[in-house]
Amino acid sequence: MSETPSSTGVKRRDFLKILGTTGALAGCNMDEPGKLIPYLVSPDNTVPGVSTYYATTCRECSAGCGIISETRDGRSIKLEGNPDHPVNRGALCAQGQAALQGLYNPDRHRGPMIRRNNRLESATWEEAAALLAQKLRDARADGSASRAVFINEHESGSFPAFLDGVLGAFGIPAHLPYHAEGDTGAAMAHQEAYGAAWPRLDFSAARLIVSFGADFLDGWGASVPQQLDFANARAALDRAPRFIYIGPRRSLTGLNADEWIDCKPGSELSIARAVLGVGGSAADAATQSGVSAERLTRLAAEIAAARPNLVLASGTTGSGGELASAVAAFNRGAGNVGTTILQGEQIVGLSGAATYAEMIDLVGRMNNGQVPMLFVRGVNPVYSMPKAAGFGEAMAKVPFKVGFSSYPDETSALCDLVLPDHHSLEQWGDAEPIPGVLGLQQPVMDPVFNTRATADVLLVAARADATIAGRFPQATYRDWLIARFPGGASAFAGALTTGLARGAPARTTAARRAVPPAAAPTGIEQTEGDFYFLPYPSPTLGMGEGANKPWLQELPDPVSKICWQSWVEIHPLTAQRMGIDSGDHISIRTSVGEVTAPAFLYLGIRQDTVAMPMGQGHTAYGRFAKGIGVNALDAAPSVLDPRTGSFLPVATKARVTKAAGHSRLVTTEGSARQHGRGIARAMLASELGTPKVEHGHEFMGDASHAFLPGLRAPVANDAQGELGSDLSASKGMYAPDHWSGMAKRRWAMTIDLARCTGCSACMTACYAENNIPTVGAPHQGPQLFPDRTGAGANITRSREMTWIRIERYFEGGEHGENEFEARFIPMLCQHCGNAPCEPVCPVYATYHAPDGLNIQVYNRCVGTRYCSNNCPYKVRYFNWFGYGEPDRPQYAFPEPLNWQLNPDVTVRSKGVMEKCTFCVQRIREAENRATVEKRAMQPDEFTVACAQACPSRAITFGDAAEAGWAVNELIEDRRAYHVFEELNTFTAVVYLQKVNHPAPGSPAPAAAAAGVPHGE
Amino acid sequence: MRRNWASLSGLFAVAAAAIILSAYSGASSPEGNQPQQPINFPHPTHVKTLGMNCLYCHSAANKSPDPGLPAVGTCMGCHLVVAAQKPEIKKLAQYANSNTPIPWERIHKLPEYVRFPHVRHVSAGVTCQKCHGQVQDMAQVYQQESLNMGWCISCHLENKARYDCAVCHY
Repeated sequence: MSETPSSTGVKRRDFLKILGTTGALAGCNMDEPGKLIPYLVSPDNTVPGVSTYYATTCRECSAGCGIISETRDGRSIKLEGNPDHPVNRGALCAQGQAALQGLYNPDRHRGPMIRRNNRLESATWEEAAALLAQKLRDARADGSASRAVFINEHESGSFPAFLDGVLGAFGIPAHLPYHAEGDTGAAMAHQEAYGAAWPRLDFSAARLIVSFGADFLDGWGASVPQQLDFANARAALDRAPRFIYIGPRRSLTGLNADEWIDCKPGSELSIARAVLGVGGSAADAATQSGVSAERLTRLAAEIAAARPNLVLASGTTGSGGELASAVAAFNRGAGNVGTTILQGEQIVGLSGAATYAEMIDLVGRMNNGQVPMLFVRGVNPVYSMPKAAGFGEAMAKVPFKVGFSSYPDETSALCDLVLPDHHSLEQWGDAEPIPGVLGLQQPVMDPVFNTRATADVLLVAARADATIAGRFPQATYRDWLIARFPGGASAFAGALTTGLARGAPARTTAARRAVPPAAAPTGIEQTEGDFYFLPYPSPTLGMGEGANKPWLQELPDPVSKICWQSWVEIHPLTAQRMGIDSGDHISIRTSVGEVTAPAFLYLGIRQDTVAMPMGQGHTAYGRFAKGIGVNALDAAPSVLDPRTGSFLPVATKARVTKAAGHSRLVTTEGSARQHGRGIARAMLASELGTPKVEHGHEFMGDASHAFLPGLRAPVANDAQGELGSDLSASKGMYAPDHWSGMAKRRWAMTIDLARCTGCSACMTACYAENNIPTVGAPHQGPQLFPDRTGAGANITRSREMTWIRIERYFEGGEHGENEFEARFIPMLCQHCGNAPCEPVCPVYATYHAPDGLNIQVYNRCVGTRYCSNNCPYKVRYFNWFGYGEPDRPQYAFPEPLNWQLNPDVTVRSKGVMEKCTFCVQRIREAENRATVEKRAMQPDEFTVACAQACPSRAITFGDAAEAGWAVNELIEDRRAYHVFEELNTFTAVVYLQKVNHPAPGSPAPAAAAAGVPHGE
Repeated sequence: MRRNWASLSGLFAVAAAAIILSAYSGASSPEGNQPQQPINFPHPTHVKTLGMNCLYCHSAANKSPDPGLPAVGTCMGCHLVVAAQKPEIKKLAQYANSNTPIPWERIHKLPEYVRFPHVRHVSAGVTCQKCHGQVQDMAQVYQQESLNMGWCISCHLENKARYDCAVCHY
């Protein structure tokens, strides 16, 4: 650009001067510093700005994990696993983390509501409680109470017994403990064979794991303890058990398997019979399953040779409960019970759930007008039961319906009286995670809205009825719990500090109504259609209960990497044959309904099968759930397993056609292939003993080199070696002996890919810790482009803000073969010692701190995005909109979601770049604590949010410059490598290669070595 | 390449005016800032005459990143009886009796994106007066220091404290 005077006489240089001055003026402008509002009376045991920690129990599923709530100035801001808890041992899944967004959900019911003039209208608690008390009293008096029904979420602990006690006093039968996602079929088979509904699985003791559709890492049973044990088993490397997954679709659990046997839905039982030696020939099984007899014979031999082993089976595959029973019987016969199946340490929360048959029986009674009153608490059967079951229509015929849901879900919308329950983080309770252990539940803060604990509401109603009031001496549920707690009030208060006590909860003795066995359904093969239809519970949203939490909506499905959307999984070769491209709409029509969703081309599904996740397609349930995607259950027939009475989601064939329309997939996936870049590496178990040499020498950037003394915080001059300039030879504050001592530490991280299962709990932990905005909600979508509006619109433009993401790569299967390997790798800022982002920043907003952190200074950043452009790892995220600014339409934290924001972390504003900070706030907090206490920081004294949550214990964080931190040993591991080490980035994140376990005697597959850029 | 820089600067003037008029929340409070408080609280009486320690009221300053403000109940602990008839104390009693917290005007405000953990500074022996001025002599508190970054860093350098950006900015 030339600098000739323009016709008006203003030069470019002058223009820039004006710009500079006015810019400075703008910078000096002040607003009011604001007000300082003190407490009226200082609360006990709190110091403003210092967190209080409360131990309580997670109620997001029935496993009963222990959690610790970090509560700051009266608001819960973070949930972490309780390290002392025997079930989850400090870890916590994404759903557990996201309980906070249930607590602070902006769409929660504000208070009780009563239906008047066919509309739910706000009421006072006095009105609502009076109405409930009157209805219950009348029902008791006229005897209609004996036909009333109370559905409660299935949970362990004392509440079920308490509830049955209150119901019994009114003459109402025992409640139905409903668990939409629970595999009651498998639980029943376990109970018969092992004497425990959900035994602990000791993967470490097994030499071989075989799973028939049992997704023990994503929803089958208690995910967190199973994942901890599985990861521990796989971390044994050469002694780790091989894992074979059998099923028509590779779920997240299936992707973690060493081998996938893709059988037809409904043929699992024939395979089990053939390979487990319980009758049935390989030839028969081969005909039914589409798997070669030779392969099944080899599998049978492998199972017979590997003892002890662990064979698991879901009760909800097309084969139903019979499969679960056959497999359980095999485990008993093979001596696995007591070695790999620890029935003494069962997860209590998964026993005794109501079967689907009981729910169907209830639908029939409601339709016949036999149910005068219905109570629903904690579940949403109108949504989570198949449309074909007709729960909603039947419920509408009940004269008086009471909902205790805290959320405006599909079921509470039909109720006549809504008495919103406290969130589990606001109320008292207990759970029985494993036999003999009580997990206590206590409020971690005052209620957010005008809600009341259901137990207290029921107590008020019971005490208002003079006839039965004498049976309820305690005024609150808390008093009731204390009264029956061993040791009384003082022991109870003492146990709250750990959230754990020895003992047993109250047990219900009331028997539920017996339900006649169901007729055998039509076999899948006899249903009409050209494809098998396989609806499955979403690993992130479950059966839809997670859909109102933006963290879970934005958490990409670990398999498809799709979020904020429904999709249909179809094999690429099938799609090609039908002329379907990724994103083209596919219509699935069954005998009961039709669903249409965009196609996701997935290698891990049989060519004759289509699959669809449940959890989306809500017609209510708040702004983050309503109207997003479709409900796969709309096309699922309501089929009962005759053996166990549980729901069989995989029960039908379907007509599959290409439909009109195309949607962009809301995916966070860049490429499913590594293209030889060596990002996620794996090695064979047999290679572990060989020395680590490539090209005959150890190369620079190799993990063991990058952390040698002197290279701990390499600056450019180090990286250039003898070519470095003399002018930059002085390292200033980067010198290890600088007076400030700033370069004494080198923060580093190791991630063990042999442990990582891809579950993505780390991502949600990071969102919670670091105030990361979700950007995919419908109201956040840009409105300018017709094909990029609505839910996930920002993500279709790669504008997600996830500081840590899980990349999922496929190896093999390039031509659609079903033999392929999946690799998961958490990708976050690598905190490069020689970072490509730093020298390109024109304003010095990103730079290298002497303690090894790659820093982003938000108030220096002007948003050029050069750093992101230059980052080889693509881990920098730009605030395209004011996600953190309440007056913007894209605001990510509508009141009261913003109550969760971590006060230690800046909420970034529009136009600045952000990325992983290695939880610098936690580093500073630990440094401050150590300094104030006048002591040195202890090795492994603290850790970062992702490592803390990880249910695989794959992530380790620490100081690589000080001996004693756990990272030091891991960095020297035989499997250690840096991603893109050839770029000379000297990353602070060291990955440990995944270890593959090929079938015994098979030639090493080429895929095992693939993905390493050198040596090809 | 020629451009009409004059018309561009005209546009820019409008934009600059908009920026100046809009609230810019990233700045610190100004030196000399001395707002009128809802209650005329005399620090000299409490600190010099009565010999009260700063931490008596600002009790979190040596425990927390936040210094803490005395709760209204803390004031009333003495003033239920002491000097209850004085007009300023009557104002205080009115707040206490109506369960209203006192809306103190904030004087010292660091810019956004800066972390200043009081506990670390107090425990390192930095006096309150180093940043807040001689509050014990101020009949009405005002901001004595600039609170800008150069002022922070000069003290950090003097005291051999760390001065890397990310010590405070994160």
